[in-house]
Amino acid sequence: MTMKKTGFLFDQRYLLHDTGPYHPEVPERLQAIYQGIEDGGLIPKLRMIGAARADLKWVETVHSVDYIRRFEEVCFSGQRTMDSPDNRMCTETFETALLAVGGVLKTIDLVMQNEIDNAFCAVRPPGHHAEVSEAMGFCYFNNIAIAARYLQQQWNIPKIGIIDFDVHHGNGTQHIFEKDPSVFYYSIHQHPSFAYPGTGREFEKGSVDGYGFTKNTPVLPGQGDEDYRHYVNRDLIPAFDHFKPDMILVSTGFDGHRDDDMSDVKLSTRAFSWIMETIFQMAEDHSKGKLISILEGGYSLKRLPELARNHVQILLNEQVHP
Amino acid sequence: MFVSRSMTIKVVTIQPDATVLEAQELMAKHQIRHLPVIDGKDRLIGVVTDRDVRSVLPYDCYKNPDCAKEHEKVAGLKIKDIMVVEPLTISPSDTIQDALLLIQEKRVGAFPVVDDKGKLKGIISVRDLLRAFTNVLGIGEPGTLLCILVEEKIGQMKKIVDAITEEGISFGSILVARYWEEDKRAVFPYLLTQNISRVKKKLQKMGYTLLEPMDWYLDQLPKHE
Repeated sequence: MTMKKTGFLFDQRYLLHDTGPYHPEVPERLQAIYQGIEDGGLIPKLRMIGAARADLKWVETVHSVDYIRRFEEVCFSGQRTMDSPDNRMCTETFETALLAVGGVLKTIDLVMQNEIDNAFCAVRPPGHHAEVSEAMGFCYFNNIAIAARYLQQQWNIPKIGIIDFDVHHGNGTQHIFEKDPSVFYYSIHQHPSFAYPGTGREFEKGSVDGYGFTKNTPVLPGQGDEDYRHYVNRDLIPAFDHFKPDMILVSTGFDGHRDDDMSDVKLSTRAFSWIMETIFQMAEDHSKGKLISILEGGYSLKRLPELARNHVQILLNEQVHP
Repeated sequence: MFVSRSMTIKVVTIQPDATVLEAQELMAKHQIRHLPVIDGKDRLIGVVTDRDVRSVLPYDCYKNPDCAKEHEKVAGLKIKDIMVVEPLTISPSDTIQDALLLIQEKRVGAFPVVDDKGKLKGIISVRDLLRAFTNVLGIGEPGTLLCILVEEKIGQMKKIVDAITEEGISFGSILVARYWEEDKRAVFPYLLTQNISRVKKKLQKMGYTLLEPMDWYLDQLPKHE
């Protein structure tokens, strides 16, 4: 097996977004992820990438100027939530969100300049619930959506395939691209009748020119490894074989793990490896191995270290030991 | 909660002297199944459904509106010959609960809405009622549904609502359904949050049973022995 050059985006400043007490989306998540990767002896093998502040013009490819301004004002005025009590914030939140976007864009540059083959972006705050003009589900800027637009506009990559295996549906990402046939959005998540945010039903397939370029696989509570294997083989692989993405972006969420109490889906640690190995192979088939994984959810501090370690090992094309 | 607020106001209607083929065309064009028949003064005098039309048109003609030979046979057939006279109607001041129960009891798909002077004001169909209840469920907004099993006694709901409110969580809706055990109720709060693990633990600590999602049902089912 040839080793891959893998980037790891991580920055202490991503810990500064403070959600206060009793909130699951905590800085300790990133510390657990880093710890797992370090304890696995992987740090020396990785190209470390630090945060960078995003140019607002790239954020504006997805979000309205009004929304960006409002987010900045709400944040600096000292308010502690925005748009919903779910979205707890501190005065650092706006800057941290810009650093998350900027870090992802910097990672894209490294991939496109062939400095690295693929990367894992351990960023906070997450992004896939964020809508054009609304913060939602702990998300403010839609990191992966901005990444897709940046790839298209800065690097002239025509077709982007987004795979979202966070246990919650990425409503923001879906809505941003639902009319756009140049971005395929695939999501597998807990069925919306049983989980936040209540979208991502099977019949949501995109609209107008983008009809057929959105695909959702709802998973029932209690389903797990074998079901995911079946659905990914049935839905994701044929869809991407047909779409033939030039670049693959992944919304990585570890919250479908059976020990994560944010969902009723029962995936094992091994199943997450299988999913990522499958995506790795899809990148080999379609995008010359180019692949960028961006962190969304995953709240089990006990399981995050092993999940992140395996995730990065797969990107490095190393064998994962069960 | 009144029919007048949920009904469709722009009603596609037909005159009694129109032909059956015209009715067929109108229903196909607007993708509807019920045509109120009105006189020159907007008074309701009958209803024609797609089933009435289908039963008088030869099968070939129904499938293929262009078939000339069959057309001749039915061309003379008028709406007034096939319509249901004195159809079941509902008043704009009736409630959507009335409409729901009546639709279930009479096994029809829609009621013309008629005021006390006999004038057609609208039509309320199963589709309109579903829209109203989609709104009642609150599922247009992002949130998470829970199912809590409670004993049927006074004050249970207050405790649940208080416990959830203390967490700073708002409600999209709250439904209570009968449970197969006689002295139990299933309470379904739809919470406008993603942050549910803490409130779930809290409710369990208070002694409530959270039903496993795969065991939820809104319909009252018999207990399987």
